[in-house]
Amino acid sequence: MEFVVEKGKKPNHQCSTLLLPALSIGNVGQLAMDLMVSSTRAERIGFFDDPFLLPCVGNDAYGPQPQGQLALPLEAYDSSSNAVTLVQQRSPVVKGKMVEFAKNLADFAAATGKKHAVVLSSLDFGRCRNIDMSSGLQTYYLSSTTSDGTDDYCEQLGWKRLQEYNPTQRCWKYLSTLADGNALQDDNPFEDELEEEDYYPSLPFAALFSCFKAKGLKVTCLLCYCSEGDNIQDAFHLAEAACKLLGLSPSNFHGNEGNGWLIPYSWKTVYGPPPDMSIF
Amino acid sequence: MEDVLTEIPPPSRFFQEDLNNFAPPSPPLPSPFLVFSNPKPNEPLRPSLLIVAISSPSLYVFHQLSSKTLIGSLILPEIPFSGNSIEPSLGDKSCNIYTHNDAHDSSIIISVQCSIAAERSNIVAKLLIGEQIIPGRVLILDSVQSQSFRGKLSPDETFAFKLETSSEREGLDDSSLLKGINYFPSGSVVDGLAAALLGRCQMRNIKGTLCVLWPEFGGAAVSLVKSLLQRNVLPGLDLSMNADGVISWTKNHPFDSELYT
Repeated sequence: MEFVVEKGKKPNHQCSTLLLPALSIGNVGQLAMDLMVSSTRAERIGFFDDPFLLPCVGNDAYGPQPQGQLALPLEAYDSSSNAVTLVQQRSPVVKGKMVEFAKNLADFAAATGKKHAVVLSSLDFGRCRNIDMSSGLQTYYLSSTTSDGTDDYCEQLGWKRLQEYNPTQRCWKYLSTLADGNALQDDNPFEDELEEEDYYPSLPFAALFSCFKAKGLKVTCLLCYCSEGDNIQDAFHLAEAACKLLGLSPSNFHGNEGNGWLIPYSWKTVYGPPPDMSIF
Repeated sequence: MEDVLTEIPPPSRFFQEDLNNFAPPSPPLPSPFLVFSNPKPNEPLRPSLLIVAISSPSLYVFHQLSSKTLIGSLILPEIPFSGNSIEPSLGDKSCNIYTHNDAHDSSIIISVQCSIAAERSNIVAKLLIGEQIIPGRVLILDSVQSQSFRGKLSPDETFAFKLETSSEREGLDDSSLLKGINYFPSGSVVDGLAAALLGRCQMRNIKGTLCVLWPEFGGAAVSLVKSLLQRNVLPGLDLSMNADGVISWTKNHPFDSELYT
């Protein structure tokens, strides 16, 4: 993977935190990143040329009035005032290459001196075994701080560790081996149908978690359960959680009115055009 | 009645394999390559303009162009030659490379008459731009992809949008290749080979323009392609052709089958 710095821009090496999405149900991680990039008014500093990413292009997603700045599949933005580098991913990964893609991102993070990677991902509500809606939408997390995935700070924030994380479980172990470079994915012993317990380690956030951890970075995955549909609120939930973790306050985002969140311009048509009223 | 907690999840906007770290990769394919009738090793072609025709209307227009010379072809090992003609034909599954015979400029035209899988698009884009062909400027002609377009698409309307690389946009207003064409609306995307090509241009700091037209085929779209080329890209280009029969030809014929080769 090659990182191409945008002409006239210079990455800020003081941005020691990397915030990025994992592909997940409802595109929640990516929607949350849209919200973060837009609201922090982060500046695009470059793009990634990765052979494992499917191509796509579009017009500027953020606005306020898109002027034709080309949007690419994987882009990096710096929010210097918040010391965060934000990565947005717009297209899927080539089938069977997710771990290699995650390794490439981890290599980039390590090479650019990042200390902490925060991964935003949703989980399929249909897989949730312990539904507790008493306190609203619950945030789950997985941290590299301890071997069982717990982190005191995340616990203080009222979040719950992902109980399904078990580093001794076969797929989590296999991911860890792949991330360490001690196995080839061609030797995948789990080509047959995955079992229930294999679901969580099969998700893209798990690949990112394992690869960043293998590079010695601190990594925190922020997770929320959702069903596919209108996932805007889920995106807000994850973005707010990311801000809490990083000690950011949206109301302090420079220049934004109201609660500080700036809706990306591209969200005007995120679920397609309005219905054709002429049929009535 | 199934248990909602344990039943298989409903279809997602993602394919299941998109969200599965352990999905086996597709069997590897041999790399595509370029062949030229007059190859010059270590001497890349340096056209001032590279035009890549992907959409059916643009392929039709360039097929009719008489002032071009076939100089080579992109070979994709996964695309069989069976059914192709000796002389270039619109019905061929091919990716031919032509020079445009004009004393005033050096242009190369690539007619992409076969479907290139998304997974192969990046490697094809690398072959076409930046290694054996190093263009000064690139124009890609494709169609609006209805599955990725978030606006309304009426079969009665004909329109074009563009996307440009930074270096194309940074030029003076007069220098933009497709003046007067609106930018592709934010929120919609273009994927596939066209995206890979424009992305490659952006990465390599090459002036590049992607023009997507609607509808995907038909006389009106062909006329629009002609108009754009003659007005903006290659003024004075002789594109006289018979518009009859345009309506019936489309690149991805629904009855296309290797059974009948």
